[in-house]
Amino acid sequence: MVMTPPPPAPLPALAGPRFLSRDGIQPLLDLLRADGRRVIGPTVADGAIVMDEIVSADQLPRGWGDDQAPGRYRLVRREDDRLFGYNLGPSSPKAWTFPSLVPISRATRSEGKVTFDPVLPEPPKIAFLGIRACEIAALRIHDRVLQGGPFVDTDYAARRADTLIVAVGCTVSAPTCFCTSMGSGPELTAGHDLAIVETEDGLLVEAATPAGETLLAALAARVATPEERARATHEVAATRARIGDPVALPGLKERLLAQPDHPRWAEVAERCITCGSCTSVCPTCFCTSVTQTTDLAGADVVMNRTWDSCFSPSFAKVAGGSFRSRPRDRYRQWLTHKLATWEDQFGTPGCVGCGRCVTWCPVGIDLREEAAAIAPVRPPEPVIAPVAATPGAFAVGRVSAVRSETADTTTLAIDRLDPAFAAGRPGQFAMVDLPGFPPLPISISRFTADGLVLTIRGAGPATRVLCGLQPGDEVGLRGPLGTAWPLDRVAGRDLVIVTGGIGLAPLRPVLDAVVADRERFGSVRLYYGARTPADLLFRDELEGIWPHAGIEVALTVDRAGSDWSGPVGVVTHLFDRATWDGSATHAFVCGPERMMQATVAALAARGIGAARTWVTLERHMECGIGLCGHCQMGSLFICKDGPVFSIAQLGDTFGREGI
Amino acid sequence: MNDQATLVATLASTWFATGLAPAVSARLAALARPVSAPAGTVILREGEGTDLLGVVITGRVALRTLVPERGEATILTVEPGDIYGWSALVPPYRATSTAVAIEPLEAIVFPGTALRAALHEDPALAAALYPRVLLAVSRRLTATRLQLLDLYAAEQVRSW
Ligand SMILES: Cc1cc2nc3c(=O)[nH]c(=O)nc-3n(C[C@H](O)[C@H](O)[C@H](O)COP(=O)(O)OP(=O)(O)OC[C@H]3O[C@@H](n4cnc5c(N)ncnc54)[C@H](O)[C@@H]3O)c2cc1C
Ligand code: SF4
Ligand code: SF4
Ligand code: FES
Repeated sequence: MVMTPPPPAPLPALAGPRFLSRDGIQPLLDLLRADGRRVIGPTVADGAIVMDEIVSADQLPRGWGDDQAPGRYRLVRREDDRLFGYNLGPSSPKAWTFPSLVPISRATRSEGKVTFDPVLPEPPKIAFLGIRACEIAALRIHDRVLQGGPFVDTDYAARRADTLIVAVGCTVSAPTCFCTSMGSGPELTAGHDLAIVETEDGLLVEAATPAGETLLAALAARVATPEERARATHEVAATRARIGDPVALPGLKERLLAQPDHPRWAEVAERCITCGSCTSVCPTCFCTSVTQTTDLAGADVVMNRTWDSCFSPSFAKVAGGSFRSRPRDRYRQWLTHKLATWEDQFGTPGCVGCGRCVTWCPVGIDLREEAAAIAPVRPPEPVIAPVAATPGAFAVGRVSAVRSETADTTTLAIDRLDPAFAAGRPGQFAMVDLPGFPPLPISISRFTADGLVLTIRGAGPATRVLCGLQPGDEVGLRGPLGTAWPLDRVAGRDLVIVTGGIGLAPLRPVLDAVVADRERFGSVRLYYGARTPADLLFRDELEGIWPHAGIEVALTVDRAGSDWSGPVGVVTHLFDRATWDGSATHAFVCGPERMMQATVAALAARGIGAARTWVTLERHMECGIGLCGHCQMGSLFICKDGPVFSIAQLGDTFGREGI
Repeated sequence: MNDQATLVATLASTWFATGLAPAVSARLAALARPVSAPAGTVILREGEGTDLLGVVITGRVALRTLVPERGEATILTVEPGDIYGWSALVPPYRATSTAVAIEPLEAIVFPGTALRAALHEDPALAAALYPRVLLAVSRRLTATRLQLLDLYAAEQVRSW
């Protein structure tokens, strides 16, 4: 990057890294200084290892290490005398390439006339000594942000034009490091002139640019032995292994951006004191303001570019207020910028995994933990291979019990079924067939040890025949098919179930799951509407089992005789005046589409948004597996993409006429 | 619910009368009277004169209508916080359905004639009260339309 020809004599082929004793660092310092550079390297000051100007190797933190954890930093003595045996401290090259305050313009105002003189930077030539792979990655991010677009920050460009980098590959790591996940370290791959790896033997130095080669040649160091090289490779590999892969980066952007309303934002905001320490120690944060210093008369003004922070209260202010007045909004802005939206803007995440924000947060907020809580990696939903997966094949089950629920609805228990059915999940359905009738989609209303339960309303010829089956009769079944209610998403949270008529059938397995493990969920409320009291399904559960299990059950009917003393009215009537707060509640809704629309609107009015509301849709189905085209709705096949969808997923196709 | 202050507070705790300006709420409370009735009491009879507007505090009031050959069917229940007897405000001041307490009832009632007179002479009271009555009635209208669709019926009647 620097220095001038003549080009050095080429290194002997395959000579590889040279070996320097730890004391050999002083000649390197001298060479850099002789080149007219200020050398910026690590030194101990104010109880930490910071970057500062270095003139002598004695200033290096020989024998010092550190103890870091979220919200904690302590210097500790090492048992050896390594020069680079410490982890990153609070300062980074940013303080030299992008200082916290630089004048950008001098301006005057006098008698109505104004003048502006841009300040042209005259930065010193700098050599960075000892910076790590993640810091080089951060510099490259700044290169992209500040000089990689149509407009260039002239001050940054001038400072970066002539920086020489003597970097150190990491043989140590702190518990806060996660460069491995962000793809920025610990190995040095690009962006440096000289690479050093320090082992118990000493320093292995390798050139990566002509400037580096010139320096290396001038040092006249011997070629490292294969043993020395093997130890260096091993120590860096051990660092990678020690750090592991603490942040699941693939898909993180999408997962994070899908969670603008996650309750954790408010929880972390209870701890975050919006001090902005994280942004000031971050080597990639680049947000700035222009501040003006004036003389008393206000005539001579210096305009400075100063670091700002998305945590500062005034950062998103306009006349009338701030767009991010709440700490939760500022924390979300910061984290989603670092880990998600940055990628859309600049092609990489805005975080290199240096861990500084974790160590230097006074309350110990760990962005790795927050990201994992807000945007967890969901184990891929086990693909449940349906039994009899082709349209023509059916598994045969035997009706073991028949129960009449209402005048037109019957529940059939089916046993002696392929055990794979039992692996189905609440909300899935089966294609049910009696030879001579078309195959019909019917929701599974309960899973049993050796079969399942179907609840069928006699709506037409085929369903009426099914309702008339007797114990011992056989039916053909394919399934379990389709998507399920997202019970994992709801675990630990409050759940509202709103359903009407036969719509309770596909939700009964959800209630079974709640009864089986009541502790797994927060409050659970069931609002169920039927045409008349005689049309209520599952009376035993509604009146006994579910209330006893701590599920709040509220029933309503559209009309009733004088023997009914409960509420009468549409199902939303049951929670129009309720007092619960929906801001962290999830809702499962099933019923006729018109009823679901009214319900979804009423739930939204109570704070349950589209991403937390799920419905199950009904369409004409022939195959149930995405082959026949019958159940298409917009870009979805209800049979295989659904039948359970979140309202956010359906967007404005939900409830639209004629789709 | 004897003294005026309790009456004002009780009213303010209902959906119907929450958040009224103090003057309006005092004016309303001056007309109000607490009542209670055991389950089974017929409060209004369909077609007969309505002289009380009521706000349910606790209990449940069924609105029933006579269906020829099927007897009385409940079409809506009035739950705590909501009103019954709104026809006391609208000519011809006759009940549109029969109202029966189906649970022991505590309510606050306003005599129709006095309330109408007050609404007539006090525009602030009228401006505060009428939208609430209208909201209660329009909610019922919307609900009734959904019920009319007979959403849970086995056969969907498609006459269009
Ligand atoms: C995912 C899903 C789950 C279902 N779960 C249940 C359930 O648990 N219990 C239940 O009683 N019903 C359920 N149904 C509805 C049930 O499939 C239909 O009522 C049944 O197909 C009617 O068939 P039929 O021959 O008796 O009546 P028909 O006289 O043929 O039709 C009666 C009504 O059902 C509709 N229908 C007919 N064939 C189909 C078909 N192949 N797919 C979808 N709708 C059809 C018709 O358009 C008509 O509105 C579900 C439907 C779907 C899509
Ligand atoms: S966000 Fe934190 S870990 Fe990532 S680069 Fe910035 S300071 Fe380092
Ligand atoms: S996350 Fe920590 S360092 Fe960042 S603003 Fe909040 S309290 Fe300060
Ligand atoms: S039912 Fe055949 S594609 Fe969905």
